[in-house]
Amino acid sequence: MLRFLAMRLLRALVTILLVVTFAFVVLRLSGDPAQIIMGADAPPEAVEAFRSAWGLDDPLWVQYLRYFQAIIEGDLGRSMRDGRDAILVVAERIPSTLALTVPALAIKLGLGIPAGIHAALHRNSLADRAVMMAAVAGFAMPSFVLGLLLVLVFAVKLGWLPSGGQDGWQHAVLPVITLGLGGAAVLARFTRSAMLEVLGQPYIRTASAKGVPWRAVVRSHALPNAAIPTVTIIGFMVGSLIAGAVVVESVFSWPGVGRLLVVAVGNRDLAVVQCILLLVAATMVAANLVVDLLYGALDPRLRMARAGGGA
Amino acid sequence: MSDVPMPRAGLAAAPKAWRGPPPLVLFALTWVGLMLAVALLADLVSPYAYTALHLRNRLSPPAFAGGSWAHLLGTDELGRDVLSRLIASIRMSLLIAFGATLIGAAVGTAVGFLAAHFRGWVEQCVLALVDFSASLPFLILALAVLAFFGNSLALFVVLLGFHAWERYARIARGLAISAGTQGYAAAVRQLGATPWRIYGRHVLPNIASTLIISMTLAFPEVILLESGLSFLGLGVQPPATSLGNMVGYGREYLTGAPWILLAPASVVVLTTLSVSILGDWLRDRLDPTLR
Repeated sequence: MLRFLAMRLLRALVTILLVVTFAFVVLRLSGDPAQIIMGADAPPEAVEAFRSAWGLDDPLWVQYLRYFQAIIEGDLGRSMRDGRDAILVVAERIPSTLALTVPALAIKLGLGIPAGIHAALHRNSLADRAVMMAAVAGFAMPSFVLGLLLVLVFAVKLGWLPSGGQDGWQHAVLPVITLGLGGAAVLARFTRSAMLEVLGQPYIRTASAKGVPWRAVVRSHALPNAAIPTVTIIGFMVGSLIAGAVVVESVFSWPGVGRLLVVAVGNRDLAVVQCILLLVAATMVAANLVVDLLYGALDPRLRMARAGGGA
Repeated sequence: MSDVPMPRAGLAAAPKAWRGPPPLVLFALTWVGLMLAVALLADLVSPYAYTALHLRNRLSPPAFAGGSWAHLLGTDELGRDVLSRLIASIRMSLLIAFGATLIGAAVGTAVGFLAAHFRGWVEQCVLALVDFSASLPFLILALAVLAFFGNSLALFVVLLGFHAWERYARIARGLAISAGTQGYAAAVRQLGATPWRIYGRHVLPNIASTLIISMTLAFPEVILLESGLSFLGLGVQPPATSLGNMVGYGREYLTGAPWILLAPASVVVLTTLSVSILGDWLRDRLDPTLR
């Protein structure tokens, strides 16, 4: 068990390391940030001064090591725009984003999983077909199209809800629905196929054959086994709580992390972009780690294997 | 909860006589065929040049909503014909999606073969990269790379090509390793074939169907990514136009001229829908192991 944990942690660390390196290489080598921040017609002395102030005139590997050291010390740099700590600039946007993504996650789970289970249990019924159609449509409909359609109907035509901004709960309704519906479709489709896979297993037939009531078969044999693959995709959804709303935040002018990322990328605000990249990677990796641990709890085969009991 | 019924007899679904593709698949095939034809014949079927301005005829509604038949789908804020722009956008978006899908498949398969051939630390590196790719939402990576490297069409296509490379790499590695244990690969190796020949002429054709299905499944994702990035203003840049780009600009006129946005939006939805229906159908018929 400890060995398993250590391996997972090591992989997580390697992944974070790669993300840091990627961020550094891409963002540092792609252009001269000093020139871009200062503007093309800035006097050369000013650009030089900016460079030495930010350490941009050192060799790249020095910058890289310094960057690493800073991250380990918890210093993610300052926003080049207003000189505030990048981590603060990002952190103050997180609540806004979570205000969208957490209710959206609730919609995804509350709508997607029951729909998927129902569809699998009533295979080829009208409900199943409806769920599958909705799921495929939900995949094919990009969030900006769904969002704009909702705006067109509920804000422009009916005038029930505001089309953008952040001035109270009414403003969150359309973005949350946009995020939630798309994710619910994906989850429903996934749950359905996981459930169908399990329902086709011999142990389900065995349980039915020995007279276990169907309801009990579903509850204590099918659902726990179908939960195992479903947890993976839920883990991914939890991991993208912070970064999953880039497009939707842009559609609804919602001042969250995603909007900040698009603006920071446009301004070449390196520190902020790196900070968001790291934050996103860290949440994803942490969510994946939790999923791996949950596997152990959900799947007795893994538990047995680890206790040396064989599979 | 007695409403939970027993599954119908025969969970494995009794094999039925095949009566041709279901209607939905036929519709998908027709739509994809239409889109390909439009993309190939763009210059012939386009009523106007997609950049041609007609300033006295700005924001005229589509023909079926009271506009003139001269502009079937209406005109935009500069009096450009929406239908012509739509056709140019379809060509651009499909071209990008094809290019990117091919690049992704080629890169991923090559990397997967490398991992399968060398094993050891090469394989570990590849797997670490796969982990890395899977750990970040691709949109975030793409956003960073695009805006920082500036934007050119070639770079954009290559960047989108890296979407889903890890999926091909994983598939190619797994299949190549299992092919290596099968007789045919061992036989040609014993005959002295070079790795190039083994992987190119013997392993690749054997796993091609799986790869092609994966490409069909990844293609709509690339269209969605392209249109998403272009919508954010970070993909295809004007004067070139793509479906996402049209939606992004049409958004400004959502209230007064929704047709500018609705035409490309419905093409995006119908195209991704059709290609994924086809992909699912192909997978179910040809390669159930991919599920």
